Amino acid sequence: MGFNGIKAEVNVPGQIPWEIILIYFIGAVLLALYFGKKTGGLKAFTTVDLVYIGIAGAFSVVWEFYIGSFIGRFIPSTPFVSVGFWGRFVIVLIVAALVRKVGTGMLTLFIFSLLSDIFHYGFGGEPMFFIYETLTYGLFVDLMIAATGGHIFNIGKELTGGGTGSATATRLSTVLALIQGAVLGFSWSIPDPIFYSAFFSPFIYGSYVNWSHILFNLVAFIPGDVIIGAIGAILAVRIAKAVGQ
Amino acid sequence: MSVFHEVVSWLILLYGVALPVAVILGVVRLTGLKEITRFETGSGFLYRLNPITKVAFGVVVMIVASVTIWWIGATLTLAVSLLYLTMKDGLKKFGYLLALIFTSLVGSTWSVAPYVPDTILSMVFPNPSSYQVLWVWPSYFLAMGYQPELTLQALIYGVQIGFRVTAVLSSALLLILTTTTSDIFRMFTKLRVPLAITFSLLVGVKTVPKIFELLDSSVKMQFLRGLGEGKPRVLYPFLFFYAGLQGIVPTMVYLLRGAKTMAISADTRGFRAFNRRTEMKELGFGREDYVTFAVIVGLLALAIIANYLGFGRSIPYVGS
Repeated sequence: MGFNGIKAEVNVPGQIPWEIILIYFIGAVLLALYFGKKTGGLKAFTTVDLVYIGIAGAFSVVWEFYIGSFIGRFIPSTPFVSVGFWGRFVIVLIVAALVRKVGTGMLTLFIFSLLSDIFHYGFGGEPMFFIYETLTYGLFVDLMIAATGGHIFNIGKELTGGGTGSATATRLSTVLALIQGAVLGFSWSIPDPIFYSAFFSPFIYGSYVNWSHILFNLVAFIPGDVIIGAIGAILAVRIAKAVGQ
Repeated sequence: MSVFHEVVSWLILLYGVALPVAVILGVVRLTGLKEITRFETGSGFLYRLNPITKVAFGVVVMIVASVTIWWIGATLTLAVSLLYLTMKDGLKKFGYLLALIFTSLVGSTWSVAPYVPDTILSMVFPNPSSYQVLWVWPSYFLAMGYQPELTLQALIYGVQIGFRVTAVLSSALLLILTTTTSDIFRMFTKLRVPLAITFSLLVGVKTVPKIFELLDSSVKMQFLRGLGEGKPRVLYPFLFFYAGLQGIVPTMVYLLRGAKTMAISADTRGFRAFNRRTEMKELGFGREDYVTFAVIVGLLALAIIANYLGFGRSIPYVGS
């Protein structure tokens, strides 16, 4: 019967070997711990950061399970368009722009998973979803925050543009934000087909692995996610400004 | 293939997607979503249960529904839904829940049935040659991952998978509807979850119904200001959606702006001054909790007996 509804199937035909998955997640945990130690971990968040993260978690749940899923019903189900997922992506980008601390992505995705358990899924299958959501989607956002030195989408960073004036600097900053959003979009297309369909779905539910389906999904997810990532980055900058960062 | 065939194919596809939307817009509405995600004081036995008991119950319902045959999931869905009648405004909440369950069933049937290949169906219904073909899709539907034909067996399979989801959906909302935020906070503290995480989570729990409330006001305001005036009533659902979408960014900015006030208020009360909280009220287990635990054990026994008697899960999930 497994633990908490998890079937723990590891030898399903086509499934990614569990050793590879384990190595990835051990590496991801070490990375998270390293950042945690360097930046102060959970203690580094101020109370207002925690409120932002809570609100973002709530919005993601409302969007993904209520609003997005109903809009999604109007659209023929294809892997190219994923309204629910895109909404969550944009919301995570917004909270990343507001908080800009390493750990924001992981904590937001963790809270999102907890809230979706409470409101929608129930706690079955945990803790696998915490591990999966937090250390893939969340970690990718945090890596971007770390790579930009806490200035994701160039927020809070002075770009002088080499003395060519503020208009050029703004344009440069927008282009950089677009690129960062697009890179994040690309990274967000990977976990669902690769980690979920080829490992977690059979691991938890004992479902089947179909690699032609997985590769098709991977290729189909990329264009939409990249575009939404770029748009989301711009939206995140706008909202961060409107909120008064 | 004829134009008639094309039109009917798209109508069937849109029926599956539009019916749940119509139910949500017409029956549940934003007010319903708000009421089914928010705690209200009440006096039924669910309100007296320890939140840990409620979480344990939800987990067990999920486990039982996922390891047993579909009709056990369906029975659980019905049984858990009846519990809603013991809540405050129980009948209304029961009605909203039924609407949600119905949309979830139609939605999940439609997201499974057209895609399931015969190789998987044959594990549930042996002998694919006896399948009753209901509709043949136009060939380009295959690009969306559709199987060439929609069979009666695929539809039954979809409904059966759906009942697993509905059992979980109905038991997941129990906790949130009958537990105060402070008690959920106490539960997580008791489970040694770090304060930072518990706090963010609770902000989230409080925010979900608030979002529906704000969106609802935003939509109403837009209609009051003349949206849709003189337009035919048929267009109203679309206008409603349009108004809802228009409301999202302002709602978000409004809530995020309020975040500072909430943070200051928490800080002035000494939030996170110490790593642990001092409890004024201890969460205890009462008679109702023990009864529920007995039910939980009974459910687990049911799952084992069902599996032993051959009523275990016979439906494989489709890998996607």
